[in-house]
Amino acid sequence: MAHWDRGLQDRLNLLWIACYAGAVLLGVRLLHVQVIRNVYYARVAESNRTQIIHQSAPRGKILDRRGAVIATSQPAFSLIYLPGETRDATRLVGLAKSLSEELHQDDEEILERLKEAHEEEAAIHLAENIPLDAMFKLSELKTIYPGVELIVEARRLYPDGAFAGHLLGYMGRMDKRSWKSLKSRGYRVDSWIGQAGLEQKFERRLRGIDGEIRMEVDAQGHLKRKIGETPWKPGANLHLTIDWNIQKALEAGLRDSPSRMGGAVVLDPRDGAILAIVSAPDYDPNLFLLPDWKKPKDLLKNLPEFNRAIQGTYPPGSTFKMLVGAAVFNSGKAAPSETVFCPGYFTLGRRTFKCWKKKGHGRMDWMRGITQSCDVYFYTMGLRAKGSLIEQYSRQFGFGRKTGIGLSGESSGNIFGPQARALRKRSWYEGDTVNLSIGQGELLVTPIQMAVYVAALANRGTLWRPYVVSKVSYPNGSEERPEGPHSMGRVDLSSGTWDLIQAGMRSVVTSGTGHRVDIPGIEVYGKTGTSQNPHGEDHAWFVAYAGRNGESPTVAVSVLVQNGGHGSTAAGPVARRVIEAAFAVREDL
Amino acid sequence: MKSDSGFIRGRIDWAMVGAMAGLIAIGSVAILSAASPLPYYSSILQKHFLALGIGVLLFVFGLGFNYQIFQDQAKTIYGLVVIMMIAVLLIGDTQRGTKGWIRFPFFSFQPSELARVGTMLALANFLDRRGKTSHRVGYVLGAFGVVFPILALILMEPDFSGTLPFFPMLLGMLFCGGASIGHLIAMGGYATLTLALPLLWTMLSLRPEWIADSILLNGFMKIRQFDAEFMIALAVVVAGVWGLYKLLQMLRFNVQVPAFLAAAGILAAGLASGVLVDHQLKGYQRNRFVAFLVPGADPRGAAYNVQQAQVAIGSGGLWGKGVFSGTQSRLGFLPERHTDFIYAVIGEEMGFIGTMSVLALYMFLLWRIVNAARVARDRYGYLVCCGMAATMAFYMLINVGMCLGLVPVAGVPLPFISYGGSNLAITLFAMGIVGNVYSRRYAFY
Repeated sequence: MAHWDRGLQDRLNLLWIACYAGAVLLGVRLLHVQVIRNVYYARVAESNRTQIIHQSAPRGKILDRRGAVIATSQPAFSLIYLPGETRDATRLVGLAKSLSEELHQDDEEILERLKEAHEEEAAIHLAENIPLDAMFKLSELKTIYPGVELIVEARRLYPDGAFAGHLLGYMGRMDKRSWKSLKSRGYRVDSWIGQAGLEQKFERRLRGIDGEIRMEVDAQGHLKRKIGETPWKPGANLHLTIDWNIQKALEAGLRDSPSRMGGAVVLDPRDGAILAIVSAPDYDPNLFLLPDWKKPKDLLKNLPEFNRAIQGTYPPGSTFKMLVGAAVFNSGKAAPSETVFCPGYFTLGRRTFKCWKKKGHGRMDWMRGITQSCDVYFYTMGLRAKGSLIEQYSRQFGFGRKTGIGLSGESSGNIFGPQARALRKRSWYEGDTVNLSIGQGELLVTPIQMAVYVAALANRGTLWRPYVVSKVSYPNGSEERPEGPHSMGRVDLSSGTWDLIQAGMRSVVTSGTGHRVDIPGIEVYGKTGTSQNPHGEDHAWFVAYAGRNGESPTVAVSVLVQNGGHGSTAAGPVARRVIEAAFAVREDL
Repeated sequence: MKSDSGFIRGRIDWAMVGAMAGLIAIGSVAILSAASPLPYYSSILQKHFLALGIGVLLFVFGLGFNYQIFQDQAKTIYGLVVIMMIAVLLIGDTQRGTKGWIRFPFFSFQPSELARVGTMLALANFLDRRGKTSHRVGYVLGAFGVVFPILALILMEPDFSGTLPFFPMLLGMLFCGGASIGHLIAMGGYATLTLALPLLWTMLSLRPEWIADSILLNGFMKIRQFDAEFMIALAVVVAGVWGLYKLLQMLRFNVQVPAFLAAAGILAAGLASGVLVDHQLKGYQRNRFVAFLVPGADPRGAAYNVQQAQVAIGSGGLWGKGVFSGTQSRLGFLPERHTDFIYAVIGEEMGFIGTMSVLALYMFLLWRIVNAARVARDRYGYLVCCGMAATMAFYMLINVGMCLGLVPVAGVPLPFISYGGSNLAITLFAMGIVGNVYSRRYAFY
């Protein structure tokens, strides 16, 4: 019936089979892409649409012994950039130009970072801690350029500025190398990290866990909506032994001192708790947190980062004389009642050593010698005790080794004596003993070593290791005590010797060189020191401990005013201010 | 027609209609979803449903009266197509650099779509008339002669991808019409040379270090220009073939002269048109070649589209993310999402189930077209159905293959699914004719 050759249908069938084979191939490919490799592609699609914005968690607070806030966190605005899929280079150049005007940064540099963000396909921080006036202008940019966003983050804040700056340290950026090793612990390249002081030492505890906001973005980088959020976990709070009032008084005291330069430590002689620790001049750690364009340019260059309280070493001068007394009387090499005549100088062989008072003190026993700080009396007593014994005592009182406060950079000072000389293969001469007797020569101590020493004088022999953190309290309620009272050793002297030394120190305050620190109602024990400095003005020392009348001492103070001149006039008033604050004698600090 | 003549009529292939309805339904849902984030969403929907309405009317029109009228009026149809294609060059609207649209008050129409169906109807007539001499070379050359003017007019728009569906249609109809396999191979060889040479040149230009080391490759690269090197290459081809012929003669092989002449002609013509195509390629088209040849070269460049399409499809998984919930398409990662890459939207939102459904419906539809060809009462109807089957198979295999990264990106739509009014309406019209062939089929008693 057919009009046409149905044999042609073989060819049609062949065509059909070819199509069928093609469809099967497509089906297999679909199975592979959609079912077998689904997990991979789903992940790619998810990362395509998701941008993770990290939010810095609030760092733990740092509080004084009564709970006053020394360091906290506050919300601050950060400018971030979310790279979209657009590859339009001119758009990036335009954005970099506009940003450089607002952020006062080089536009090339900003462009470099924008490109980096596109390469890494990750959000970056363009600026942090943006002040309010810049905010409004920047939020306009947000409407012009997709991908520019302002977010709220927790930012470190030191409410009292420079208060305890050296103790707290500061926050800073990581260099690329150290970031690589910290990456696994959750640090991002633009994370802040504690760079010095307690911020550095307790970084792990203070640092919280950063939050994450997962945002949906479109191909252009517009934020569409929030997909999910992992809230931040704040860091642990650090409770310090610092007493806000005493710290404040000590800072004010040093600031008002002649040279405005020095280091000072206040300890509780009963357990070594640090009540105040200051190095002057100080700095405001808030400066580091300013946006880059507001940071003083030479901030790091001129930073008084050197912590004189634990790193500065100075000859102790006359404050060392109690130790000489302890050595000579406790060993029985002399009696306190023995007298020495002071003509104003002392001769040893062909050398002459001067007393600080040119006219001479006349006849001196222990009480008068210490009260007037007569050098000739101590030259004589030192030679009686011999250099090696004084060296032995100074080792017992903790000189020549770190107190172990645990802040980085602590200095151990330098011990001076025949044994130390012998280690360096040099000989010891009697003249060295004379120098050592009044705390001069090569003997070098730090203010914190002096504080430990004077605390030991106050508590009759216990060398407490100074500590500053009383406890760490975690957000979940648990507590930890990483530091606490720890005895580094004892100096065993007869109670008669202790009585002598303490009576001497009391007399210094009531009727001697330390009369400026005599406070009614408070029993202050002290000693001035003026250590000779061949390079410039003498360093002024004042060490003291005090307690309310009839009570055991609760405060031990060591004040050094670098190049301050005389101990009684430069360092004494600082100590007085501190003791007044400690016992709340004066209201106006 | 009398019912006792062995032909029956008035039967509609409801299975085919059902398959089309299914594809259009899935396509419309996908367009609704994919275009929704776009600012001109409502305009897209209006145009889509307007085209669908017109398409249904055209389908009924194609189905309505005896298709043999198309054979009777083949010359008129061909003439109208040529006039229409010339008209578009004169008064057409330019979109994306192609002067290929005629603007109407509410929509634009792409005449090359109608030209494809018109050419198919005219070609079927030509091949039917020459049916008895299908083994001759004139059958193939003549068919090419019918199609060539239309192709030339479309290339003048210029619309390179618009000419692509003509080739499978032509080859399919020639093959099913009974053309000599040798002739088809010759033609295929020519076509392969035409496309492979630009591809090869593009690939080699990506590897300058290879060219520098080789005089031969260096010379090959220089053939790209119509200058002395091209002429030398042409002469070398002719001389080489002649030399081989002489050699085989000397070795007393029984060689056929026409075959050698044909081989030389094909090589020379292929070389010439290869250079021509290479010159006609636009930058973005060459980039697609590059993206296909070296997918990892530039993930943000031309390969980006293909990669994002695969991510969209792959992330859909078995059940998909749900209509209106595909992140790849809705957030703008997927390009051309309501047109050429709509299959990727289906993959993302409707999953493996959706993509396989589309594939299955397409295969079912193809089977119905092939079936219509088998039962056609005459060779003309058979050839029309074969042309349509080849076209639809080409569209489906190339579009889906492109979304899956199996073939280079060529601006080829997925009929019934992609947004594109002209394609939808004209495809429905052509399917109406296929249904017509089926309804007036030869009945076996």
